[in-house]
Amino acid sequence: MSDEIKDLTNLNRLIHEPSRLAIMAVLSACESADFTYLLSATGLTKGNLSAHLSKLEKAGYIKVVKRFKGKYPNTLCSCTASGRRAFDSYWKQYSALAQHLEK
Amino acid sequence: MTSPSDVKRLIRETRRYEFADGLRDIQMAITLGIMGVVTWLVLQPLWINTLHEWVQKYGRGAAWLGLLVIFLAPLAAWGMLALMNVVRKRWLWRESGMVKPTPWIVSRRVTVLSAVILVVCLAFAVLARHQGWVEDAFVLRMLWAATGWSFGYTLIGMGRELGLPRYIWLGLTGGVLSTILIFLQLTFAQAALAFGLSWGLLLSASGIFTLRRAIAAKEAGE
Repeated sequence: MSDEIKDLTNLNRLIHEPSRLAIMAVLSACESADFTYLLSATGLTKGNLSAHLSKLEKAGYIKVVKRFKGKYPNTLCSCTASGRRAFDSYWKQYSALAQHLEK
Repeated sequence: MTSPSDVKRLIRETRRYEFADGLRDIQMAITLGIMGVVTWLVLQPLWINTLHEWVQKYGRGAAWLGLLVIFLAPLAAWGMLALMNVVRKRWLWRESGMVKPTPWIVSRRVTVLSAVILVVCLAFAVLARHQGWVEDAFVLRMLWAATGWSFGYTLIGMGRELGLPRYIWLGLTGGVLSTILIFLQLTFAQAALAFGLSWGLLLSASGIFTLRRAIAAKEAGE
């Protein structure tokens, strides 16, 4: 088995899922983003986004803070240090694979 | 949605979201404008004489009170940030959501090179003065010109990294204006005023133009 194929099996599956990859990409590029921004940036439905955020939070990749601003609920998400490391390492592996496949 | 180019696009869009509505340009314009005007003002004989009169009338405390004017620029920067936050939350970004940008907008390479530009230019001016090639005022004018070049380079780096061409143009134009400062026979105070006003005008024009486009896009989406 070539190294690239081995890398493919080693890809972080939690991040590799398309919706979660989009969420991690957004959160890795900022300090924090609210639920509304994640909805508009990823194009997911509210239910889907909530489910994926819960999975990422459970893995310790993101931090979710739920609070009220006046009468309205406000959910703020941010990438944790381990989330950033996991995303960076995934992205390096994924980019190398994509490059190899293009050859 | 998840090809490498899509992920790159998402990262880039999120990074430049902070600058997409032009409010940041207006904030920088106000800060630099006030910084230039305040520096010019505190070096005016009229201001110094007024401060002297206050000290004679009310004691040394009045001098400290008068010096508070130097905090106007950082106060304006902070106040504008707070105002931007309110405007975005309540209106501009209500539908598209809020994003808090990372503290480092540009890469480390751009930040380091901007600092190098500033230090090298100032060192050159001091050396040139030491050798007797230039007069004292040149060194003081260089302080503003080098700040302009360094800031211009940061804007160009920002424009390239975030894919916002207006910052490349702003950086280049501001850089040229800062170069002109060197050749004009201006005092330190006059150079500060020219620096603040030229950068302030450039950035506010860019900010207002971008803000108008952002408002039009928001209204078209509603």
